[in-house]
Amino acid sequence: MNSVAWVHDDALRHWWGQAPALYVFDDEKLRLENWSLKRIGFLYECLLELPLEIRRGDPVTEMLEFQEANQADAVITMDSPDPRLREQMHRLAAQIVPQRQFVALTGKLDLKRFSRFWAKAERLLLPLDTLKK
Amino acid sequence: MANAKALRRDFESRRQFAAYLREQFPNASGDLASMPGGEQAARTALARFSPARYAATRNYLSGSVSRLSPYLRHGVLTLREVLENFKPVYKFVQELAWRDYWQRLYFEWGAGVWLDREEWKTGFRAEDYSDELPRDITDGVTGLACMDSFAKTLERDGYLHNHARMWFASYVVHFRRIKWQAGACWFLMHLLDGDPASNNLSWQWVASTFGGKPYIFNRENLERYTEGVYCAECPSRNACPFDKTYEQLSKELFPL
Repeated sequence: MNSVAWVHDDALRHWWGQAPALYVFDDEKLRLENWSLKRIGFLYECLLELPLEIRRGDPVTEMLEFQEANQADAVITMDSPDPRLREQMHRLAAQIVPQRQFVALTGKLDLKRFSRFWAKAERLLLPLDTLKK
Repeated sequence: MANAKALRRDFESRRQFAAYLREQFPNASGDLASMPGGEQAARTALARFSPARYAATRNYLSGSVSRLSPYLRHGVLTLREVLENFKPVYKFVQELAWRDYWQRLYFEWGAGVWLDREEWKTGFRAEDYSDELPRDITDGVTGLACMDSFAKTLERDGYLHNHARMWFASYVVHFRRIKWQAGACWFLMHLLDGDPASNNLSWQWVASTFGGKPYIFNRENLERYTEGVYCAECPSRNACPFDKTYEQLSKELFPL
């Protein structure tokens, strides 16, 4: 399958192999969140080390145009909890590239407090002799 | 051939880069931060970092913190990669786990991270807190050397030590009685590592809307972990609102 990669704010590393890739500065998001030049500059510097094209505008519009120009069948991207990105992923019917979790916890997790999460996570993250009693 | 809409990728200097950004993003305020973006810079920060020193000194403003958070926030590095880069040190692994925890909640709650997750435990209701962050706070002219320095550092560097973030948030929410959302929004404008999960939920933890009690601090605590650098020169050093016991502060701040 011929894919193009949509690179977004949450995954600015080279995860897409040889596929043509695009990052779009989301004008509306920047307007709503009022990002300072520091934030934009830092993000832009991350992009400059990556093999991709950079644009600004509406990410979905730009990405669809990019997909068509590259005659790609699909858009691939990385997952994100950001609701705005998730809605855009949905509109692009983007396929999520799996990535290794920080800690692979199974079953229903109690996230009410960090202490409950940590009680389960620490056993998988730390060797037994470093665990606090 | 690059698309006509493609933004530039080649710059002769950082100055030229900043000028181009100003042209492309005219509404963005301020200047570039000194912390550089990109994987090379992230790897340099990773190579310099010692989790053992971090565990021993992290609460001090001069402590050996990683400054990896902007790279983690944008996925330049992953939590897993950072974890595997070092021999495990309890306190550092726990801090990485905090970020994973916030992200999991963000997946669950989405835009709900902007809402009070629980009732306030301060005796006040949400309506009792102001919606706006006053200019004296954002301009760094409150007359409190510590808070003014934190505000200016945030605006200049896009980064604040975590302890400073907590003191600042506590000052805004509890000493000035302002909604945590106002402070969280301002942090997100400036923090290079700003993401609504870690940022907002940490503000909520301070506020008590995602935690068992409000977080407050006093002068003794701040003076200790800042090694007195602010108090010595503070114009309010003889009328410091934080110069009280925790019991006195609780009575004053949460009288209901």
